[in-house]
Amino acid sequence: MAHFETEYQRLEASYSDSPPGEENLLVHVPEGSKSPWHHIENLDLFFQRVYNLHQKNGFTCMLLGEIFELVQLVFVVAFTVFLANCVDYDILFANKSVIHTDSSKVTLPDAFLPPDVCSARIRHNVPVIFILIISGVFWLHRLVKFIYNICCYFEIRSFYINALKVSMADLPYFTWQEVQARIVEIQKEHQICIHKKELTELDIYHRILRFKNYMVAMVNKSLLPVRFRLPVLGDTVFYTRGLKYNFELIFFWGPGSLFENEWSLKPEYKRGGNRLELADRLSSRILWIGIANLLLCPVILIWQILYAFFSYTEVIKREPGSLGARCWSLYGRFYLRHFNELDHELMSRLSKGYKASSKYMNCFMSPLLTVVAKNVAFFAGSILAVLIALTIYDEDVLAVEHVLTSITLLGVCVTVCRSFIPDQHMVFCPEQLLKVILAHIHYMPDHWQGNAHRYETRDEFAQLFQYKAVFILEELLSPVVTPFILIFCLRRKSLEIIDFFRNFTVDVVGVGDTCSFAQMDVRQHGHPAWMSAGKTEASIYQQAEDGKTELSLMHFAITNPHWQPPRESTHFISLLKEKVHREATGAQQGVTGENQALTSTNSLHCDSEPRSLVANLLLGPPSLASLHLARETSIHPVSIGVSEPALGLRSLSPVSTSLHLRSSYPSARLPPHEHSSARVMTGSSTDARTISSGSSAWEGQLTSMILSEYASTEMSIHALYMHEMHKQQSRGELSRHTWHRQESDESSESVNEDFEAGRSFPRSSTFPSTATTHHERAPSQRHHHRASDPAAGSSQVQRSPRVPMGWSEDRQMGRHHEPVPEEGSEDELPPNIQKV
Amino acid sequence: MNCRSEVLEVSVESRQVDEAMLALLHTILLHRSTGKFHYKKEGTYSIGTVGTQDVDCDFIDFSFVRVSSEELDRVISKAVAEFKDALGNSGSDGMGQISLEFYQKKKSRWPFSDECIPWEVWSIKVNVVSLANEQERQICREKVGEKLGEKVINIVEVINRHEYLPKMPTQSEVDNVFDTSLKDVQPYLYKISFQITDVLGSSVSTTMRRLIKDTLAL
Repeated sequence: MAHFETEYQRLEASYSDSPPGEENLLVHVPEGSKSPWHHIENLDLFFQRVYNLHQKNGFTCMLLGEIFELVQLVFVVAFTVFLANCVDYDILFANKSVIHTDSSKVTLPDAFLPPDVCSARIRHNVPVIFILIISGVFWLHRLVKFIYNICCYFEIRSFYINALKVSMADLPYFTWQEVQARIVEIQKEHQICIHKKELTELDIYHRILRFKNYMVAMVNKSLLPVRFRLPVLGDTVFYTRGLKYNFELIFFWGPGSLFENEWSLKPEYKRGGNRLELADRLSSRILWIGIANLLLCPVILIWQILYAFFSYTEVIKREPGSLGARCWSLYGRFYLRHFNELDHELMSRLSKGYKASSKYMNCFMSPLLTVVAKNVAFFAGSILAVLIALTIYDEDVLAVEHVLTSITLLGVCVTVCRSFIPDQHMVFCPEQLLKVILAHIHYMPDHWQGNAHRYETRDEFAQLFQYKAVFILEELLSPVVTPFILIFCLRRKSLEIIDFFRNFTVDVVGVGDTCSFAQMDVRQHGHPAWMSAGKTEASIYQQAEDGKTELSLMHFAITNPHWQPPRESTHFISLLKEKVHREATGAQQGVTGENQALTSTNSLHCDSEPRSLVANLLLGPPSLASLHLARETSIHPVSIGVSEPALGLRSLSPVSTSLHLRSSYPSARLPPHEHSSARVMTGSSTDARTISSGSSAWEGQLTSMILSEYASTEMSIHALYMHEMHKQQSRGELSRHTWHRQESDESSESVNEDFEAGRSFPRSSTFPSTATTHHERAPSQRHHHRASDPAAGSSQVQRSPRVPMGWSEDRQMGRHHEPVPEEGSEDELPPNIQKV
Repeated sequence: MNCRSEVLEVSVESRQVDEAMLALLHTILLHRSTGKFHYKKEGTYSIGTVGTQDVDCDFIDFSFVRVSSEELDRVISKAVAEFKDALGNSGSDGMGQISLEFYQKKKSRWPFSDECIPWEVWSIKVNVVSLANEQERQICREKVGEKLGEKVINIVEVINRHEYLPKMPTQSEVDNVFDTSLKDVQPYLYKISFQITDVLGSSVSTTMRRLIKDTLAL
């Protein structure tokens, strides 16, 4: 201490109050922030960008793609204007002769008007000026966005390179799961999220898909006005990108939206107190946005038409058949999407189902149309043949006026007709096809099963899987229709929307406000008819329809094997896997005799199901399953149900064995049939699928591909199994619920209508809110057969807005409601609704 | 989102507002300040000393500890005084919120300005009550003192948790983490802002900014 004081004297007056002689005292070493990646402000945006960059295969690809898009835009507009104003068509059509000094040939430049005439024409053409201004503004917007994006993504690029240690050249060969595993890894080091020491996969998914999950949940609970009953067209779905954009604008990010920022709902919306006032405010906002849409309608319309014209005319010209090609509708994408499912996962799933789906749709050829088409094709074809033959003989025939035109038109005609003529060698087997489809798309209304051959089912499926032409048409119509949907349909639902966001938003630490459905908590949102009976405490309002919670949970657990689900979910998953496995082993012993025959038939069938690498090994389990069903349905229709997907699982064992032999990871996975417990199987498959993240180069790449393929197959089997269980369960309840429905008919009108359709079908009565989803017509048709009752259907569509009105009350009641111990007690549920 | 937020709520009489606010803000800042850093050539540094001092409140039965830095005290007092004025002038039922936000700066590329990224936000919600007589004032004086004591313990508990703090910076980066403008003490970079009544957030400018940003980010 004495030493200290003497030293103190020696110093001059200084503000530095640090002790002198610091060399001997406490000295610190700054850690410095070596990486700029700690503590990222907006993690939502950050993860989204990381994901986007991965999906776009790296920075250069993205840059090029965006630049070309910009150039294309300029080209489209410039070319249109040029064609409209600067070409002298009389010269092109040779209606007017050109005076030439040197040669007599007409050249292309002759047909162009001189620049001054051209610009004068443009200047005096008001609509053209209008279009030019619109597209100019649009282009500038795109340009600014482009520059902004490039700057942002440059950061992400350096994040990939420096933090994740993935070079841009390698990025296309990394699966998202691998990238994600690295992000989880670097969180420990850099702490990109400050709330937690470790990130989980679910956190990342939640952030990327925060709003998508809300949308999926809203579609699932039929909150969004996308289904309409039109006088001529019947039950239709109208959901376009424009409409979707408006929904998102209203709910998530527009001025005065429900969300304060990307991650939190405004506090007033979390409180129930002034919900009516908030609903009023929301509805007036919707009104304003609807009016704005109405005013901007011409602008958007012109844009849509221009865009559609240039992106599709070329396609139509080249292959007219392509318009007949179908695509998954936007509504279908939301209906089929799991909670927490990224775009590429959904797309790969749907693409796998595409072939089977189009096959299924092609089963429904109208015989009348076929006859007509055949004959039209015959006449058109013969004229075409003659013309072509003449042309080949002497090409001067082409110079005759309209010969080329007629050849083209006849060609188009023949192609169109041919698309109406079914393939001679095609077999009509809708039920099996639907099974195959289900294995990929994972969701399906109950009444489709067993009704696959019906036109109603087909029509409903067409809502998910529509013609591309219809898709384009809807997009073109969208600017006109959207304002009306907003003003007249969405506005009425504002109270329900407010209630929805209040009831189904949870604040997750480190993530912010997310949709509670996206937690995939079986206890909170499980549906008793989907294998979570006894585990779920959800009221009808809280249950996710179509087993979405359960299927999403399975899907997420299978795609992210490292993820640690909460305890109850783990229990659910292991129980389910065990069940599937037990069925598999049971079925295996039962059908060994048949096995040979099955495999042989299977190899015939499996070309319908090309499944890349695994296909040869796997022999397509879904098709196997469906085949098996077809063979056995006549014998014992009910009991076969469960063993059928399980059989599919059994057929997986060859995969694992061959994998076991082929791959350089002998310990990776043991064939499942060697394990008695499915728990072990899960564990081992888990290891196998993730081992690639540790390994490098192509070897790992290949394994990870195989394994992701395997994961999707595993999910298919589980989806089939769950649907099968569900079907049996609801079938089993049929008898028990008949008495009850009589009673509920006397109840309030709204409920009454609900049961109208479900009277002969158990599901609707057991779970009344399922009737609010869709396909209301079909349950009644299933039992009334052809004598369909459209009135019941229509009343239901009108009714559905009314039910959620009581949702909030219903929810409170649900709190007191005892957790459902077994199916029997569900009998109490309908009276519960009646109080509403 | 990437930031912790803590909310404290107090009900006080109007003359107690500034003392209560000072007590809470100073308590937080006491734990979020260090002595001045003195960097050496070899990339190490030593930390200067910080004194503390007790402050007794006039209108509350309470005393608190603050960093003995007149400059810091001046800055905080000024902010609190503004808050109190605004609260008095608002004419509403005396609800307000003062928030202390710790942030760090992040240098970014040319077209963007430096980002200020908050990592911890303390919001203190104030409810001003009016009392009828001296008797009640006496009771209030004690009660508010007790309440503030609880809050202080609360604050200390939060701060004691092992949670994210910006890493200790090197010399060149020290301005990105610490407020080095004060001569005798070096708190983490902070910002004090306040709002009167309950209309939170949705000002026109922030909405517009978000709208533009979101359209760009599509």
